[in-house]
Amino acid sequence: MLMVLPAHAHHILGKPAYNSGKENSSTPPSMQMETQIGDYLVNFMVFPAFPKPGVQGRLHLYAARLDNGLSYQGKVTFKVRDDRWFAPDAEVLGTHEIDDKVYRQGVVFSKEGDYIVTAEFQADGQPYIIDLPLRVGEPAGMMPIGVAAGAIVLVLLGVSTAQRRRLMRLKAVRHHEAARSET
Amino acid sequence: MNWDWLLLPTIGAGRMSHPGLPPGWVMLVLAAMSCMVAWAIWIPVRAGHPHSSRSLVHLPVIGPAVRKMLSLPWLVLALRIAVAAIFLLTIYAGLFGTPLPERNLATMLTWTLWWSGLIGAIFFVGSAWCAICPWNALATWLVRRRLWRRGSETSSLGLRVPKVLRSVWPALILFVGLSWFELGYGVTVSPYATALLALLLVVLATISLAVFERRAFCRYFCPVGRTIGFYAELSPVALRPVDPDVCARCTTLECYHGTAEVEPCPTHQVMGSMKQNTYCISCDACSRSCPHQNVAWRLRSVGQEIIQAAHPRWDEAWFILGLLALTSFHGTTMLPVWEHWMSVLAQRIGDSGQLLWSFSITMGVSLLVPVALFALLALLTQRLMAKQPEYRRVFSALALATLPLAFVYHLSHNLSHLVRESRGMTEVMLNPLGINAQPLTCNQAEARHMLTALQQDTIFALQAGLLLFGFWMAVRILRHRVTSIAPQGQAAAGWHILPMLSFIVAITLYNLWLLMQPMTMRM
Repeated sequence: MLMVLPAHAHHILGKPAYNSGKENSSTPPSMQMETQIGDYLVNFMVFPAFPKPGVQGRLHLYAARLDNGLSYQGKVTFKVRDDRWFAPDAEVLGTHEIDDKVYRQGVVFSKEGDYIVTAEFQADGQPYIIDLPLRVGEPAGMMPIGVAAGAIVLVLLGVSTAQRRRLMRLKAVRHHEAARSET
Repeated sequence: MNWDWLLLPTIGAGRMSHPGLPPGWVMLVLAAMSCMVAWAIWIPVRAGHPHSSRSLVHLPVIGPAVRKMLSLPWLVLALRIAVAAIFLLTIYAGLFGTPLPERNLATMLTWTLWWSGLIGAIFFVGSAWCAICPWNALATWLVRRRLWRRGSETSSLGLRVPKVLRSVWPALILFVGLSWFELGYGVTVSPYATALLALLLVVLATISLAVFERRAFCRYFCPVGRTIGFYAELSPVALRPVDPDVCARCTTLECYHGTAEVEPCPTHQVMGSMKQNTYCISCDACSRSCPHQNVAWRLRSVGQEIIQAAHPRWDEAWFILGLLALTSFHGTTMLPVWEHWMSVLAQRIGDSGQLLWSFSITMGVSLLVPVALFALLALLTQRLMAKQPEYRRVFSALALATLPLAFVYHLSHNLSHLVRESRGMTEVMLNPLGINAQPLTCNQAEARHMLTALQQDTIFALQAGLLLFGFWMAVRILRHRVTSIAPQGQAAAGWHILPMLSFIVAITLYNLWLLMQPMTMRM
């Protein structure tokens, strides 16, 4: 799952283009998140934008100081975790040094699902954490709806059965009382 | 004068923040508050302060229209169907749409439009949302298998709710849990989790309706419904008898028992003796079942109910204090420096990357501090009285005075979310699943938050005005409430109210300070 890939980007207005504008480009577009965090303007990109399981993808991070535009020079750690309730701890993909103003991380997701990819670094004694939600493959299945519908159907069936029994018992009592009053 | 020392440094802001209330408005609020404090201490409470109220059906122009509306059951039904359809679309978008919160209908509609707008709507229409609530509507259709007429008695087990649950404690616990999920777990920025939460609430409402009598979920468990109920006590509109004498003579109580066609009151209210909005869910069953057409919307002065009629129980007082603590805590978590505080605490206690323990500890402390302070000052108020009334009575009565503080801060805070984050709503409505959507860039987010539907100065004016209004209401309620619990013949103005007045001032100043800070936007 972990590998560093060389990426040959040229830059237009400070952002990579990857020939995506060309008609015959085989490079898929990226998912890109730009954010200000602390003293830095961070650009976090995922290639391709909508990755499929088993397909090689890349994470790129650009971090430049807001005051002078200089790139961050320390190390950046990339992590990934499942984006679901009470998911296990994040898995570390790798820690990298800067390469031509960019931090790069190769990644292959083996399973479909919703993930949070994270880039972390330390600057001036402060931790910087940038999260990007990412869907790999098709959306989650019908399981939550199935569970909810199943729970509702079970309860309604239980209530219906209980009520039917209660009515039958009531009917039997009435029948018994009617028979007793006749005798 | 330099006010910068009151502003926190914006450390580690990963998201956009917008400027807080400027010093000019703060000065104005402080000056007005000082005048009100002086008034509260020196001017005695007038006994039997009259309040007017008028049924909407008696108003000259809109009266006939209101009566007509109340006689059209399909109107509410149509609204219920429309809201339920949007709700189902929201769940679908959350489960199958983009995970980007600012591009998905589930997060945008639920947290930005609905949850932010709902609190404001309560002031104008009371608990009307509950009448068209999709959780309740879907549960009813599933269990009763009727669209709007009275369902079969055998569709539900109709059990009484266990005595231990017959209070608003379950709703308060769920509300704290919901806030933990919202602020600590970050449900607001996860469309998938938002959809799961929506499904969970439908399941809970359905199970409750299938097992218990009437609508136990609305009455005891629903945190949103109870929040609406308490805030609706401040609303100038409420469903009430058109002529109270008709109710006084009524012996059949169709509003309570229902008719062959119309459900009984889902929350066990008798219209003729209803003094508080707390449990009315505005479902209009009473107005349809009343053979005298004696139930309609009534206009009254703001806060009339809470000053004169409301008598909160012990558990209800705790819910109100929970609301107060949670609303201020909500604002605290949106300070740009909050994440730094969390980070420092997490490093001290060795918390995991999700900071759940750090958040839980801070949340617990933030809820306990104002409640403990209130309890202490309520005790002091009790001790100041010559013939001391029971502590629980003092505590419950005085808790009412804090309700406007929670309400106005909730409104002021939500106003920011509503006008700043709802800018992208049109795009989201056109692409509710956010297919092929990209995250907002810094410039787009900045534009969304700053190019608001209202001018920034208008937002500040509204926030300052709301805070002042809440303070004024709280002081008025306090004066009347202290008078009502004071033993016969004992003066209740002046120094008797000082402990609780200082609590009201402290909470208002904290909320004012929160509004002065830059607030981090969620999306």
